[in-house]
Amino acid sequence: MSSLYDTMLRILPHRAPTGLVAIGAPDRSSPVLVTGNYTLTVRRVKEALEGRNAWLLVADSKGINVWCAAGGGHLTHHDVISAIRTSGVRDQVDHHHLILPQLCATGVERSRIEEATGWTAAWGPASAEDIPAFLERGGHTARQERSVRFPLRNRLEMAAMWIGPLVPILWLVLWPITGAGTAAIGAGAVVLIVLTLYALFPWLPLRVLRGVPVYGILAAGGFGVGAGLLALTGLLNPSALVWLAVACVVGTAIASVDVAGSTPLLASSVNPNDFAVELIPDRCTGTAECVLVCPREVLVMDGHARKVQIVRPRNCILCAACIVQCPTDALRFRFDDGRVVEPDVIRQTRMNLLGKRKTVPTL
Amino acid sequence: MRRLESTPDRYDRGINLLSGGRIGSVYERIAELVARPDADVLDIGCGTGGASIACAARGANVVGIDRDAGMLEVAASKSSSVEWAELDATEIEDRFGPESLDAVVSCLAFSEMSQQVQDYTLSIAMSRLRPGGRLAVADEIEPEEPGRRVWYRLRRAPVVALTWLLTQTTTRPVRDLRTPLSELGFTEIASERPWPSFQIITGVKPS
Repeated sequence: MSSLYDTMLRILPHRAPTGLVAIGAPDRSSPVLVTGNYTLTVRRVKEALEGRNAWLLVADSKGINVWCAAGGGHLTHHDVISAIRTSGVRDQVDHHHLILPQLCATGVERSRIEEATGWTAAWGPASAEDIPAFLERGGHTARQERSVRFPLRNRLEMAAMWIGPLVPILWLVLWPITGAGTAAIGAGAVVLIVLTLYALFPWLPLRVLRGVPVYGILAAGGFGVGAGLLALTGLLNPSALVWLAVACVVGTAIASVDVAGSTPLLASSVNPNDFAVELIPDRCTGTAECVLVCPREVLVMDGHARKVQIVRPRNCILCAACIVQCPTDALRFRFDDGRVVEPDVIRQTRMNLLGKRKTVPTL
Repeated sequence: MRRLESTPDRYDRGINLLSGGRIGSVYERIAELVARPDADVLDIGCGTGGASIACAARGANVVGIDRDAGMLEVAASKSSSVEWAELDATEIEDRFGPESLDAVVSCLAFSEMSQQVQDYTLSIAMSRLRPGGRLAVADEIEPEEPGRRVWYRLRRAPVVALTWLLTQTTTRPVRDLRTPLSELGFTEIASERPWPSFQIITGVKPS
């Protein structure tokens, strides 16, 4: 029940208690894994760790999932430092080693945790379900574990995020105007549109004309099904059709706001996207920190040259995790017109640059 | 996504809305309570700098700390007479030595902390204050009378929702800090309520 509630209303923050949680019967040498205090996240990490002994250090991500919180500046190294100092973990284990969720790398600077607390930190996998394999391998991620996936289950959760608040509101707005039956069909058409959008997401050409043709077809499809249902139930009349059309257009418009940004596979379309990650080979010392945090396998380590290479630039979603973590500032953003954004600026603003990316000083 | 947008430039507007336009007088009152010329003052969770700037205007040497670089950017654009530092409350110990401060202030920051962090922050403040130094914490609190408390919750809900929608800023009331302050050994604990749902609590580290 609470899982359903959290999923349907995931657009709002859901705060789980922060602090140290014992999983199984952990002892003084058990691993310490960090996560954010979003209820669904905490529950999934606990599920993934079932049958094991570990400490879960829940940092204050303001009730937001790790990826969104880190990108938005709500989960940073300050929260992890705070968790280490206030949770009592220092009294429970003999080691000083943390495992960080890979997807917090846009906001949590690993080096700052080590400087402030003396605790070392390693990057864990991108998905909680890979944690057991990661631990069994002795705390190293495999390449495929660093890459984000967006399987049907997660896509349907995104659909539920929109359906949860949108459909009841639509129904309540339409009811007094059209009657309960037509309102229910209008809301149902929107459910269908949103479900189709996320179910078919990997195959939809959303980059063509900013996805407008796709959204048009989805709205028209929802309208067609809704009109059919109106006819079948004897509710078909011109006014009902007009309101059904309004529901389909409004529902599609709201659900399609930044579809790209609500997925882990595409760069947000709210940001200006006329820039790319630039590698400065002279500064690269081959620590490969960027390779460990990239969720899209954009970078690889060239073992011979002891340097990193950008091999899949088209995969990049501009999350800047690589830039934030690079210990030698060998990565930065470069706009098409030649302006650059240095790592220090990105560490301050994270993905949150939005308008600021346009106004950063020229080099 | 809206949650990913930066809010610092909207923070002042949001807090002003939530406090019914009275937050400026709170900053002034805090400064009146603790700031003296050349006193060393730390402002925990200074945000956009309201309390820090009010203390600096009375001649104190103020360091304003906040964990949010965006907030500090707004603060720095308002005043250069305060030293701004990107630090969390739990990182005070990394920067300030024992008994190095004459006053520690915090306005609307405790309501954003978990109780664990609040307790930790209060004990660090105690250890960093010089004997005779003063702590002042100002934050939202639920009214004391039960009737007023119910009215406060009812009245607050729509304002919180509206403020969240407009500015993605919100606050939660904190528990009464008198007990934790006295447990830590603070003396001369005094609290005042500029309005029923807001408290400024002060305490002094014994000489």
